Amino acid sequence: MGFFSRLLNGQMIFERMETRILVGIVMFVATMILIGWVAINEGARMAAFDRQFAARSIERGAAMFSTYCSTCHGNDGRGIGGKAPGLNNPALFGHDFIPEVNGPRNALIAERTTLENEANDGENPPTDERRAEIDARVNEINTQIADLEQQALPFISQAQDAMVRGYDPYRPSRLANVRWGSSVFNYVYSTLVHGRPVSSGYWPDPMPNWAQQSGGPLRDDQLRDITNFILNWNRDFTIEDLVSVQQFAVEPCDPLACGGGGVETVGNDVAAIMEQFPSVTGDPNRGQALYNNSALPARGTVLGCTGCHTGGLQAPDLAGTWTRVLNERLPALPEYASGEEYLVNSIVRPNDYIVPTYTAGLMPNNFGERLSLQDLADIVVYLMSQDQ
Amino acid sequence: MLRRYPWCLLPWDQLALWAVTIGASMVEASPPPIVGQTLNLLLRGGPDIGANGLLRFYLLHVLAVPAILFVFLGVHYYKVVIHGFSLPPQKENIGEDTAKRVPLDKRVYYIPEILTSEIMWIAVTTFVLVVLSIWFFHAPLENHADSQVTPLGTTAPWYFLWIQGALKLGDKVFWGIIFPTLIIILLMVWPYVDTQVSRRYAHRRLAITIGCLFVSIMTILSYMGLSEYGVTTSADTEVLHDAVREPAYGYIGFIRPVPFDQLVPGMYSTEQIRIEREVNPADFQLDFAAFNTEIDENGQADGIIEQLQLQYLSMTDVAFRPVPSDAPELYRALEEYYELLESERQELRNGWGAIIITETQPNLVRVDAVVLWEEVLIERGRVALDENGNAIPRFYRVSEDGTPLTDETGKPIIVDAPEPLLDASGNPVLDESGQPRMLTIPVERVNSQYIYLHRNAEYFFLPGGG
Ligand code: HEC
Ligand code: HEC
Ligand code: HEM
Repeated sequence: MGFFSRLLNGQMIFERMETRILVGIVMFVATMILIGWVAINEGARMAAFDRQFAARSIERGAAMFSTYCSTCHGNDGRGIGGKAPGLNNPALFGHDFIPEVNGPRNALIAERTTLENEANDGENPPTDERRAEIDARVNEINTQIADLEQQALPFISQAQDAMVRGYDPYRPSRLANVRWGSSVFNYVYSTLVHGRPVSSGYWPDPMPNWAQQSGGPLRDDQLRDITNFILNWNRDFTIEDLVSVQQFAVEPCDPLACGGGGVETVGNDVAAIMEQFPSVTGDPNRGQALYNNSALPARGTVLGCTGCHTGGLQAPDLAGTWTRVLNERLPALPEYASGEEYLVNSIVRPNDYIVPTYTAGLMPNNFGERLSLQDLADIVVYLMSQDQ
Repeated sequence: MLRRYPWCLLPWDQLALWAVTIGASMVEASPPPIVGQTLNLLLRGGPDIGANGLLRFYLLHVLAVPAILFVFLGVHYYKVVIHGFSLPPQKENIGEDTAKRVPLDKRVYYIPEILTSEIMWIAVTTFVLVVLSIWFFHAPLENHADSQVTPLGTTAPWYFLWIQGALKLGDKVFWGIIFPTLIIILLMVWPYVDTQVSRRYAHRRLAITIGCLFVSIMTILSYMGLSEYGVTTSADTEVLHDAVREPAYGYIGFIRPVPFDQLVPGMYSTEQIRIEREVNPADFQLDFAAFNTEIDENGQADGIIEQLQLQYLSMTDVAFRPVPSDAPELYRALEEYYELLESERQELRNGWGAIIITETQPNLVRVDAVVLWEEVLIERGRVALDENGNAIPRFYRVSEDGTPLTDETGKPIIVDAPEPLLDASGNPVLDESGQPRMLTIPVERVNSQYIYLHRNAEYFFLPGGG
C-alpha cells in the first residue's frame, strides 16, 4: 500500500518494527552529527552575531542621537557654539596631536611643581645651597618648556580656530582634565544617566538626565546604544576634525570670572551706551566672528548667539534681522530712537521687550557684563548687515 | 491557543510586545468593565507591559501553563485508557464500538508498536527542525521592546490572525472576546453534539461540510487579520515603510539588504529608472543637470531640504546623480522603489522618490527615503475618483502674482480643479511661453523616513518574505 493510503487508513508507515527502530536511530545520529557540527562552528557564528549586534546597537543609537541630542550637540555631533560641546571630538577621546611636546612638557611641569613645593615648604625650609640648586633647575626647566612650546607652534597656528572654541593643545584630553579614572564608555554613559544639572551655571541649557531611573525618557539599553554610537566616532583624528568641532567642553567656572579680565565692559545702561557709541567704529567681520563663536568677547567664553538664533525656532532667525528691526519693530515701538538703539537694548537688556511668540527670559541678560564697547559695536554693525 | 499566547512575549522584542499588547487590550474589553480592567491589570502588572508584566508572563509560561497542559494530558490519557482506540471507520460495522472489542490478532499494543512509532517520529521531526533552523530559518531578535514606537502593521502571530481579522468586523467585545470564546466552547462540546453513530465519511456529509466551512472561514479571517487588509495607511507612509522597515515576520525594508559598500553617499532618484524604462529606452539617460535645475526651480529641492531638516539632517544643496555602476544592489532597490510608487500612481500623483545617502561615521551611513507627490482628494481613507475613474488632484488657489491665498482663519484655500486666469472677455491669459497662466498650483507634498545602516549589521532577505 502507498504512503497516503496508509496514512488515511491509520496504519503505520513502516510496518516492520525493525525498520522503525532503524529509521529512528539514523535520524537521531544524524541530528547529533548536525548539532556537533554546529557546536564546532559556534564560536565563529557567535562572533558574527556579536559584530552584528554591536552594529545594530550603533544604528539605533544614531537614530536616537538625531532625535534627542542633535538639537544641542549638532546633527554631526560637532557641538553647537555656546550651546553644547562636541562629542565627535578628538578631545573627548583624549587624542593628543603633539605627544612629542606634551609628554616631556608634562613631566617637566610635574618636576617643577615638586621642586617649588620643596622650596616653599615652610616647615622644612631648604638650605640656601639647595635653594640655589632648585632655582637653577627651575630656570632650566622653564627654558626647556619654552623650547618645547616653540616646537608646538606649527600645530598651534593650525589649531587656532579650535582654541578660540575652548581647545587647549597642552591639555588635550577631556577625561584627564576632569580627572576621570575610568573608560570613555563609562564617562559618556554616566553623563547620560545623570545629566549635568549643575551645568546650567555655564551653559544656556544644562545637559538633561536621560535615564528612566533618574526620571528621564530612555531605558538602559537605549543609553548603551547611544553610547556605542558616540564611541563609534573614535578614529585616527586629523587636524581638520579638530578645527571643525564647533564647541569644546567648558571647565566649570563662572563665565564672568574666567577668561578675559581687565577690559571694561559696557554694562546695561542703554542711554549711556548710546552716548559713547559714536566714539567707536564697528567691524562687521569681527562682529560675525563674535556672533559665530570664533572670537572671544572681552570677558568669559564664546557668546553662543548662534546656539539659539538658528532656524528661528528658539529665537528670531539671524537672517533679515535688520529688515525686521526697521520694518516691524521701530514702527511698533516708538520708544526706540533708532534701529541701533533697539539692537543694543535687545542685547544688553533682552527682557525689556520680548519679541512676540518667543519665550521671555531665555536670552541671557548678562551680555552687558561680557562685551566691551568695541565688541558691542562690532556685533551691532554685523547685525545691521543682515538686511536680506 | 491560550497556551501559546504567553510565550509570544518571552523573547521581549518589538514584535512580542505589540502582539501581546493587542491581546491584553482584547482581554480588557471583556465585559463588564470591572472584570476586563482587573484581568488586564492582573496580566500586565501595570498600565503598560513593563519588566513586571514580562515576569508575570514568564511565570504564567513556566508554571501555570505547563500545569494546565499536564491536567489536559491527564484527561486525554485517561480517556484513551478507558475507551481504547477504534478501528478505522471502514473496518467496523456501523453502530458498533470496536474499541476494546478488536480481535486479539488485530490489536496494536502501545508497547512496543506505538511507542517505537512515536519515538521514530520524534527523531524524524527533530531532525527536520534542526535542518530547517540551521540552514533555512533565522530567528533574529527584533529591536528591544519599545512601548514608545508602534511598528506599522503589527500583527499577532499567525495562529491569532483569525481573531485579529474578526476584530475588523466590528465590535471589539463581541468579535474579540465573545466570538473566540464561542468557537472554543463549540470545539469542546462538538463530540457531544455530533453523536452520529456511523463514523464512515459517506455518512457524515453534513459534519464534513461544516468542518470544511470552518477551515475556510478561519482562513479568510486570518487573511483579514493581515495588516494588508482593511487598514488604510496613506500610500506614502506605506511605500516609505516598505523601504526601511525593520526585519519582522520575513519582511524587511528593501533598502536594508543593500551591501554596505554599495551604499555610496549621494542622492539618487527614481526618475532615473522612469526615464530608462519609459521615456528613452534607447539611450538610457536622465539628464541630471537639467533635472536638478528643474527641481530647484519648481521648489521641490527646497521641499526636500526642509523635510530633511525636520528629520535632523542639515543639507544645503540638492544634487541628484546616477547610481554608480558598481552598485547594482542599490540600483535594484531604486527599481523596487520606483515600482512601488508606480503601483500607487493614483494616490501619489506625479510621485517620485529619492534615496539620499549620507555618511554619518566612517562605517555608518544614514539613508533617507523621500517621496514627493501632488495631493489628490482622499475620502474616508481612499482615493476619491471622478466619473472617468481618475483621481481628483488638489490645488492651492493663488493670486495673480503667485502668492498663495488664505481664508479668514489663515488656512490656505484648496480647490479640486485647476483655474486658469481669464481676461475680461473670458479667454485664458497666456504667459511668455504660450502656456495659460493659472490661478492654482498643485498641492505639493513630501514625506520621508530615515534609517542608519552600519557596515556589520548584515540585513538579509529571509526565506518566504518579501
Ligand atoms: C539641552 C541641550 C542638550 C541636549 C538635548 C543634550 N545635551 Fe549633552 N550636553 C549639553 C551640555 C550643555 C553639556 C556640557 C555639560 C558640562 O559641561 O558639564 C553636555 C555634555 C554632554 C556630554 C559630556 C561631554 C563632555 O565633554 O563632558 C555628553 C557625553 C553628552 N552631553 C551627550 C549627550 C547625548 C548622548 C544627548 C542625547 C541623548 C545629549 N547630550 C543631549 C547639552 C545637551
Ligand atoms: C539662550 C538663547 C539666546 C542666546 C544665547 C542669545 N539670544 Fe538673542 N534672543 C533670544 C530669544 C528667545 C529672543 C526673543 C525674545 C526676546 O526678545 O527676548 C532673542 C532676541 C534677540 C534680538 C531681538 C531680535 C528681534 O528680531 O527683535 C537680538 C538682536 C538678539 N537676540 C541678539 C543676540 C545676540 C547678539 C546674542 C549673542 C551675544 C544673543 N542674542 C544670544 C535668545 C537668545
Ligand atoms: C509545555 C511546556 C512549554 C512549551 C510548549 C513552551 C513553548 C514555548 C514557545 C512556543 C516559545 C516561543 C518562542 C518564540 O516565539 O520565540 C517559548 C519561549 C520561551 N520559553 Fe517556553 N515552553 C514551555 C515551557 C517552558 C519552561 C518550563 C520554561 C523555563 C523554565 C520556558 C522558558 C521559555 C523562554 C525563556 C522563552 C523565550 C525564549 C526566546 O525566544 O528568547 N518555557 N516557549
